[in-house]
Amino acid sequence: MSSSRKVIELFYDVVSPYSWLAFEVLCRYRNVWNIELKFHPAFLGGVMQGSGNRPPAMVPNKGEYLVKDLTRLASYMNVPLCQPSNTFEVMFEKGSLAAMRFITAVVENAKDGDRLVENVSREVWKRIWSTDQDICEPSSLSEAGLKAGLSSSEVEELIRQAKSQPVKDKLKQTTQEALDYKAFGFPLIICHVDGKPEVFFGSDRFELMAYCIGEKWLGPQPDKLTSYL
Amino acid sequence: MSRKVIELFYDVVSPYSWLGFEVLCRYRNVWNMELKLRPAFLGGIMQASGNKPPAMVPNKGLYMAKDLNRLASYMNVPLRHPSDPFEVMFNKGSLPAMRFITAVAEKEKDGGRLLENVSREVWKRIWSTDQDICEPASLSEAGLKAGLSSSEVEELLGLSKSQPIKDKLKQTTQEAINYEAFGFPFVVCHIDGKPQVFFGSDRFELMAYCIGEKWLGPQPDKPTSNL
Repeated sequence: MSSSRKVIELFYDVVSPYSWLAFEVLCRYRNVWNIELKFHPAFLGGVMQGSGNRPPAMVPNKGEYLVKDLTRLASYMNVPLCQPSNTFEVMFEKGSLAAMRFITAVVENAKDGDRLVENVSREVWKRIWSTDQDICEPSSLSEAGLKAGLSSSEVEELIRQAKSQPVKDKLKQTTQEALDYKAFGFPLIICHVDGKPEVFFGSDRFELMAYCIGEKWLGPQPDKLTSYL
Repeated sequence: MSRKVIELFYDVVSPYSWLGFEVLCRYRNVWNMELKLRPAFLGGIMQASGNKPPAMVPNKGLYMAKDLNRLASYMNVPLRHPSDPFEVMFNKGSLPAMRFITAVAEKEKDGGRLLENVSREVWKRIWSTDQDICEPASLSEAGLKAGLSSSEVEELLGLSKSQPIKDKLKQTTQEAINYEAFGFPFVVCHIDGKPQVFFGSDRFELMAYCIGEKWLGPQPDKPTSNL
């Protein structure tokens, strides 16, 4: 087994609650597994359209189950996820295009180190999937950006850039990269092992992923082994 | 703490159900539980819930083939794709097989291992050695391998065409629908009189957390892979 640092890419959209779970778990494993984690904010709407997939909650029983499943998983994984009061409106009417363009602008500016991308993504997730707050208006994204540690002038610049053609194109391009990996939803995780990409869908394949990349799965909170041993 | 009852609703047409089945069978003596195997008909679940087979989305179908191979290796289940999965899963289907397995379930009232063994032998045919599971001769072969005698197999094949068995399969399928199932495997854990439902073969770690047991990986007798 090669001991070289493995590259793990996470394709995500903040509209997806399972993506948040996967994001938090992978962030926690950054210093546990021998990996380099790369964030790829992308647009889930484009992946659904490109793959011909439909949102799982279109099947009523599945929708009911997903609510229960997310609540249990959030508790087990220790992620402060709460359902928004009007999930359908938040996910399908308002959507995440403005937010994902904003986060893409953060990626384009944070060339060295991804902490800012991590922090901004988390703050936007907290709004939509924890405190039931808007993520479409510039003032909402501004608030998230400030909480993540950006200055007012940086936030202003990023909000301006988020509307620019290069950032719009970058988001499209990242979404297309996910489709090139045959994505049909998010989170989509690509593990590069010995030059070969191994693709995983969802936030429930970490134990299998560990097996495939030659690492150890220590549960969703690797610093808190008690839940596991 | 009292013994928890865990019900597994499954259909042999479903490869993820096989994985869930083998893992739960291995945990029978590891977790403080009583495992109840509930053979049912996946076609009825899909119709009632309005769900569509996941492989209808081409990218999902491609992914599932890879996902199953990796999971089978990790979980140590000898799963292999049939040469023509569409023909096997959707044209031929599992109705006679699930009626036969229902007949085994009805005959075996005393919590023996026949239901487990017959289910496994049928799964091996469809999801490992690419053999038919629709013809009486096929089910007979699976039954003999599972330890039934020729006369028992014959009796079960007769029973599996009877109205009471057909009704029983419908009834079990309806029970899964009442739990709002939309696919298999569907696992219902009864804890303190309250049912907790889990879909898929990828929720065992979460299940352990919810029922107050420990997850030791898919091969609990071989925890090396996990610790």
